[in-house]
Amino acid sequence: MKIKIKQHGFKLFTITVTLALTFYIAFLLFHIVTYARFSRFTHALTSPEILFALKMSVFTASISTFLCVIAALPTAYALSRYKFHGKSIITTLLDIPIALPSLVVGFGLLLFFGATPIGKTLEEIGLVFVFTPLGIILAQFTVNISSMIRVMKATFSSINPRYEHVARTLGCTRFQAAAKVLLPMSRQGLIAATAIAWSKGIGEFGAVIMIAGSTRMKTETLPISLFLEMSTGNLETAAAVASILIVMSVCSLAVFEKYFKTHNHF
Amino acid sequence: MIEISHISKRYDNFSLEDISLTIREKEYMVILGPSGAGKTLLLETIAGIHQPDKGEIRLHGKDITGMPPGERHIAVVYQDYMLFPHLTLEQNIGFGLKARKTASSIIEKKINESAEMLGITHLLHRYPLTLSGGEQQRAAIARAIVTEPAVLLLDEPLSAVDEFTTERLHRELKRIHRLTGATTIHITHRFDEAYLLGDRIAVMNNGKIIQVDSPPVIFRKPANLWIAQFVGGKNIFQGHAAIINNVNHVKVGSATIKSSSSLIGEVRLSIRPEDIYISKHTFNEPHLNSLTAVVTGITDRGRFIEAQIDAGIPLITVLSRQSAHKVELSPGKEVIVTFKTDDVHLFTTGHQGALPV
Repeated sequence: MKIKIKQHGFKLFTITVTLALTFYIAFLLFHIVTYARFSRFTHALTSPEILFALKMSVFTASISTFLCVIAALPTAYALSRYKFHGKSIITTLLDIPIALPSLVVGFGLLLFFGATPIGKTLEEIGLVFVFTPLGIILAQFTVNISSMIRVMKATFSSINPRYEHVARTLGCTRFQAAAKVLLPMSRQGLIAATAIAWSKGIGEFGAVIMIAGSTRMKTETLPISLFLEMSTGNLETAAAVASILIVMSVCSLAVFEKYFKTHNHF
Repeated sequence: MIEISHISKRYDNFSLEDISLTIREKEYMVILGPSGAGKTLLLETIAGIHQPDKGEIRLHGKDITGMPPGERHIAVVYQDYMLFPHLTLEQNIGFGLKARKTASSIIEKKINESAEMLGITHLLHRYPLTLSGGEQQRAAIARAIVTEPAVLLLDEPLSAVDEFTTERLHRELKRIHRLTGATTIHITHRFDEAYLLGDRIAVMNNGKIIQVDSPPVIFRKPANLWIAQFVGGKNIFQGHAAIINNVNHVKVGSATIKSSSSLIGEVRLSIRPEDIYISKHTFNEPHLNSLTAVVTGITDRGRFIEAQIDAGIPLITVLSRQSAHKVELSPGKEVIVTFKTDDVHLFTTGHQGALPV
């Protein structure tokens, strides 16, 4: 018996910690999902306000994710394929938003668009970011762009540039080689990065509330909705909103896992 | 015909230093050198992937130095095949034709022709990663030749496949070269491959081309010690050569060896093991060296016997099992070693870089 504990003690210890954590997380999730009565749940799901927030979240997250992809692809290509002056400084700068609290990012956006001549000029031509859905999109984009660049840079770097060399000798331009060979080969990394950016966009709170505020039925996304319901003591509605967010996150995680795990076998 | 003149290029840790090389129409040129010599960099510069810092490249007399790779009609086959994993073999082979906007009926016909030439017709619907190394290699060659390139560049095309497949692919490459007549530049670090395939061999080391000659000349008359050792030379000695009675005599240690070379002074001397004949009797002819020697060791190499012999200088020689039996080869036995003065190659002691270990 003593020998058995000696042999298996460490295994027992690590597995116990793992199980304890698993129960803890499962309990949290279970508690949120079962907090609201079922009637309250369905009521919340059909209320115009929650539906507005759901649509607003999906809409802004989809646009901001699309913009992230558009901006991240050329940036990641440049960082993984070319050498240029100041590359390491640029890489570091582009990485900073990952480490910043999103509140700080939102605060920066508010200062920039609310108080600088550039922000004022944009406002004059009709691009209003402060307290608007446009601000929500910008907040999500700014918070997510760095990790999108990182994932795509890692994906491109893992693909031998000789694939593109071959494509170029066979008649492609650099752009065609990237579009016909590099991008399809990066498909899995791109899907994984998109799923994560979308899910993070849906759930973004700090940066969104700083620049877009929390106006009901105007700049209300699901996290904002959750916050508003909770501040007014509507815990059951808040739990229903939280449950929707849980389902969406789990789905994106599933997509991410499916593609990220099998990714990079070229 | 492709003319490379005075190409210099630095890239990562590799460099090309003032490289000039002319490859004739339909020639099979092998560039031979150790890893790190800059062979792939040279190949990619010819293909247009890299711009040279200096120098120019002409194809059929036309300057192509600044031309984008896609317009050069120079195709590359890399050692790791680089088949596009997201496309079937058919799409891979048709890639170049499609990129150049060939009509789809012609694409199909050409894909089938080249697949047939390489014996991979039955694999056309498969994805590259489901195929063996040899099959992928054939597909990569098919993808290159289907575009009917003016020059075909092969980067260590056989180093990732097993020995058996290598031998078969040697024959294939010769056949394909005969069939397509494409001017070919093949790079390798293996001398046997270079010897077997090349019309000529360009030996490269440290970013420089140091000898360009036919395979037998590179093998028998390496330009310097480094090449002699790189091509597997044994029996290399240092000596002093001087003409006595119209015959070049080289003094190596206590032995004197006659050579038909005209090089004199401080020289290196090499005799290929297979050019040395062992017998019981002396041959007394002016064009032969015939020395009395003692067998110091015998190594059974399976297909042949290697003997270490002391003839005043330590020689290594190879002989068939039959001949070994005939001369009753055994350690300590006294024998006569004979080799032609023509087979005693002399070269300067000039040293071109360190040998790879």
